[in-house]
Amino acid sequence: MAETLNLSSPPDSDSSSISDQSVSSRIGNRSLRVAKKEKQKLEAVDPFVKALKYFSDVDAGTPVVGNDEFESNLVRVERVAYSKGLSPNAISIMLEFAMSLRMGTSPCVRVLKCLIPASVVPQEAVVRAWVWLGVGKIPPSTQVLFIKWVLTIFDMIDAKDQLRAIYGFIFSFVTDENMCPFICHLLYLLTRKGSVRVFRVRKLLELQSKLGRQPFLLHLLSLYKVFCPELVTLSIPSRMRSGFRNHNSHWKSALIAVQKRNNSQVASSTSLPFTIKDKPGSRKRKHSHLQMPALHSVVNKQAQTESSSTRKVVPLVQVQSFAELLDNIHRIELPSQMGSLLGSSLALQYLDCVQDESALLRLNFWLGYALHEEFLFCGDGGASQNSEEARLFLNKLLSTQHFLQEGFSSTEAFLYKFLCIWDGSLLRPQILELLSNIPVVPSTQIRRLLFEPLMQLFFTSSVFFKCGMMECLNNMLLKWLTWHSVYALEDDLDISLNSQTSINMTLSGFKDSVMELIHFVGRLASVGLQLEGCHTLFLNFVLDFYETVCDTFLKYGLPLVVMPPAGVFYPALFATDPVSVDRLAHIMKRYKVNLVSAKSQEKNTEQAFHISRQTVREFNHYMVVMVNCLWNSKMFHTGMGVELGEELLLKSNVPQYWKSFDLIHHPAFMSYAISFHQKCWPGRKDMDLNSIKHSKPWTWYLEYLYSQGYDGLKQIVPAQ
Amino acid sequence: MDDLTKRLLQRLIRRMPAQMLKTTLEKWDRLTAAQQQSLDFTQPKWALIETLLTIFEENEFTVKHITELEMLHVINNPNQGMWHAFHLMDPDDTAITVELTQFKEQFKSHLRELVRHVSIKIKKHTDEAVWIRIAWGDGFSKPNHLKPTYVVHHLQTPYVFVTSLTSKQKPLLSQALTLSTRHQGIKDANLSGRKLTAIRDLLMKQYQQVFTTRYPSPLEETNQPVSNPRIEREQAGLLANRLQMACEAFGYGVLPQLQSAVYKLETKYKDDTNKTMTEREEPFRCVVKFASSNLLESIRQCASSGIASTPVTPLLSSIPIKGRNYFVIKDNGLGPS
Amino acid sequence: MSLLKPFSKLPALNTANILLVESEEQFQQSLADALVEETAVTVNVRLAKSLPLPKENEESRPRIDLVVFIINMTSERSFKSAEASLKYLDPGYFLGKVCFLATNVRNASVPTEYLDAVRKLAASLHCPLLFAEDQTPDGVANATERLLTILKVAAGLVPMATALYVSSLTRCSVPPDIDQPSFD
Repeated sequence: MAETLNLSSPPDSDSSSISDQSVSSRIGNRSLRVAKKEKQKLEAVDPFVKALKYFSDVDAGTPVVGNDEFESNLVRVERVAYSKGLSPNAISIMLEFAMSLRMGTSPCVRVLKCLIPASVVPQEAVVRAWVWLGVGKIPPSTQVLFIKWVLTIFDMIDAKDQLRAIYGFIFSFVTDENMCPFICHLLYLLTRKGSVRVFRVRKLLELQSKLGRQPFLLHLLSLYKVFCPELVTLSIPSRMRSGFRNHNSHWKSALIAVQKRNNSQVASSTSLPFTIKDKPGSRKRKHSHLQMPALHSVVNKQAQTESSSTRKVVPLVQVQSFAELLDNIHRIELPSQMGSLLGSSLALQYLDCVQDESALLRLNFWLGYALHEEFLFCGDGGASQNSEEARLFLNKLLSTQHFLQEGFSSTEAFLYKFLCIWDGSLLRPQILELLSNIPVVPSTQIRRLLFEPLMQLFFTSSVFFKCGMMECLNNMLLKWLTWHSVYALEDDLDISLNSQTSINMTLSGFKDSVMELIHFVGRLASVGLQLEGCHTLFLNFVLDFYETVCDTFLKYGLPLVVMPPAGVFYPALFATDPVSVDRLAHIMKRYKVNLVSAKSQEKNTEQAFHISRQTVREFNHYMVVMVNCLWNSKMFHTGMGVELGEELLLKSNVPQYWKSFDLIHHPAFMSYAISFHQKCWPGRKDMDLNSIKHSKPWTWYLEYLYSQGYDGLKQIVPAQ
Repeated sequence: MDDLTKRLLQRLIRRMPAQMLKTTLEKWDRLTAAQQQSLDFTQPKWALIETLLTIFEENEFTVKHITELEMLHVINNPNQGMWHAFHLMDPDDTAITVELTQFKEQFKSHLRELVRHVSIKIKKHTDEAVWIRIAWGDGFSKPNHLKPTYVVHHLQTPYVFVTSLTSKQKPLLSQALTLSTRHQGIKDANLSGRKLTAIRDLLMKQYQQVFTTRYPSPLEETNQPVSNPRIEREQAGLLANRLQMACEAFGYGVLPQLQSAVYKLETKYKDDTNKTMTEREEPFRCVVKFASSNLLESIRQCASSGIASTPVTPLLSSIPIKGRNYFVIKDNGLGPS
Repeated sequence: MSLLKPFSKLPALNTANILLVESEEQFQQSLADALVEETAVTVNVRLAKSLPLPKENEESRPRIDLVVFIINMTSERSFKSAEASLKYLDPGYFLGKVCFLATNVRNASVPTEYLDAVRKLAASLHCPLLFAEDQTPDGVANATERLLTILKVAAGLVPMATALYVSSLTRCSVPPDIDQPSFD
């Protein structure tokens, strides 16, 4: 505590240092007469300056009661404060006057209440006020009022380095029961990784055993845990009430009013080109955390230019362009409300290139709680939840994730929980998209975290939900594969899972996860097709997925080939629309190309991966079935996938049953066969489709089919 | 204007939302049109108060005027503060003939006899209610206008509603009231609430009531929502029964908005597992309080939805029937008070 | 004690019958109104506060294909009532013809233990547990759609699918304790 106290100048020299800055200092060198004249002039011009001077000069112990001079001066200051806000200098003077208790405790509260900054609050003034707080004559309620004020204007303090330097001093107030909740909030805003120490953790735990599991203590502790998990072993409940209350609306409303007035005066030239403009923060939601705090440009231009040269840190708010960001990148100060970063692409760029671990941790922490309280643990069960607002929030989160090209770990944790209680319709597009963004899940966890809740949702929902889910899983696979092709290292073994965390995954682990995912989707697709009666739309989404799967080796360099299950292959082969059949043919063709190149690589390089015989056998089998069935009219031959007893087939009375799924008689292509027949033999009255099978017309027919855009078929068996 | 008057005005203005202040001043109709115009109601309160202070000084308004304004505000917004109901008892034969001017004179003179410094203002409202504002002083001090008592009485009824009355002032007011309305006595009606209109309606039975009959009315059929023939309620009988029970106790219509009901228990503790408590001679004392923004509606809903068992216990149904929301329960049933 | 039996009556052509059991009788009405809107099959809805069902309706009551227990997560009473009603169902129903529908699950006043208890109940009976947002029109529509999906299978209207088969895919599993978001 002693060392921190030294940081600020001793209290005695304050009046001089402050009047240095004030107008009166200029008077010093001139002759008394001129000075007087000047002073009179000034007073005549601006009674406010006179009032300020009164407060900086007033002697200690001056009585308050019946002191008209004091009263009129204070009213003057109040009037300016409520209309225009106080300049940094005025804030310093008034804060000093109040906290030093020069005229006793009674004016202190009144002064604190009118401390509405017009631009910034000088850090020095706040630090000095903290020192006064340590002197200990201020009544408890006023102490609390002061801390509330600091919390309210926290983002407007021009630098935080000195405040952080007296972290230990501020921490010492935590034992005071009245101040504890507010001190915790302030510490929460000030905490850096370096501030987390064993003795502080111990103190907080001690307080917790005394006061019970108070939300403000838990929040601070959980932040400590985020920074130093090894120091805080305490388990933090998953459902926590919101920790820090919105402290004082008195200042906030006054601040907003002042800012509005000033902004309109300055004219709206300060439009931020790089920030996504949020709706104005006037929407009232009591328990909401969704409202992303906008990066307020509180500071007006003047203050910026005069201060940015001297100040050591630059608040992110003031950075207007990418060039400015580059110039100041070493001394950027992050805002206290990390959520505001989501709305600003500049901030995200900063975050992405600096890789500031504590910033990311704080952002994640904030996001985790915001998502948790808004979607999992709402005050009223979501009855009054403004879904429009929630949608906008998630959309913004999504665009942030796209910008950073990775998901936040807190989003992931939230999704796992949310899936377990999701009704399948609430914010469906957003949730499915967030889900498709999650990083690779280890194969040991994937089943319980992802597959079980998804399966329950999938099989109880409509076909459109099934399509949506299929698309989401396809995107998930695509992202995993893309990520693999980008991040996989040369030696193909250790790949870092996420740039934010240091969890690594081996290639085989990654392969296992991808395989699990593909098999899972295969199961969903087979049963889904069965339940939905091979719904064409759904089948198309399934084929989309297999278009990704068939190219894993060539397109994404992942040594893995997984064939579709029979439950997908046969419904696609016997589909009633020609597009599905054609897409299946295309997919089979890609499988073939992948397998061939994998085989050749296996021969060339010794260490290449091994494709199981089973996979190759499966592929060959599907190929044989497809070609036999469509081109060779050998349906139901022995050795094919679909075998039926001879007698049974005869009993069905279908003539030439072996032909019933060739390219002429297949339900998807029958119409083409008929139109071909009409074109080929325009005069013929009786239609005999079998006549197409003769060698010449057959070649023409195939040419005709391929010319209709069925390239997949063409790729498999090119016309002779 | 002296300091006290200024403070009185400040307090009054602070209490009123800006919009309400505007309409009240218009109704009051003592400011000139120009003065009305000069007021900017979007200003912050402190600024508004200052302009009003200067206007009042210009017009040389006194305490009398300010209390007039206050009364107007209270009459127009009767649902503020805690109102207590009193019951006048044993009317004289002439009680029925009391009329306004007579009552006014009598009440003023009786109360002035009892208290030297008291300021009384009586006003008849459009709905036949007589509003009385009393600022109390005592033997030595002037009437305190900052803490006035408001009394509402409908002539020829036995009910009086009072807000912000201290226990010291209660006997004085009681005496003045009984004498001027020609009754023998007055007692607490054990009914209180934030909404004057609600407790008045409850006591004067000015809401849709039920008259319990022994035969279930066929009215329920109309209450049921018209339903699709493919939707069938298995326990329709039970539901209809519950609805009927609830409505028998509380009626079908809109209920007066009570905020709370308090039951003070002074009964013997009965629990076989806890011998020391059961064997105690003294009754077990505790207070049960039901609170809601609309208590009677809530209880009716509980009963009709099956959350509370039906038929509704007389403890709850006697709130509307007896018109009270404070009960003391002793072992021999509902106590007298 | 009269058990409700799944196969004691013959099914009607292209008809599915659903029984909604809810002790608070709040959500079931809006759900029923939406369910009967279905046009592909005739859906009959029976509403009940609890089981057993009154004997006098036995004649008029069609074969019930699916029993849905609606549980309001903010009221323990609602859960207890559903739990007590379960024993009036024939064991045959638990082969895919029972499902639980929980409402208000995202409410702050729902204790975690309570959610776990509901999950455990559903898991022990091998029944699906759906969650519904009963306070928004979209939520009701979606819940209706999902119930219809299950109902059609349970009533045998989906070719090549049986209630038992689908319930093996949709039944609730007791989720692992995903405790604190994995910040560490």
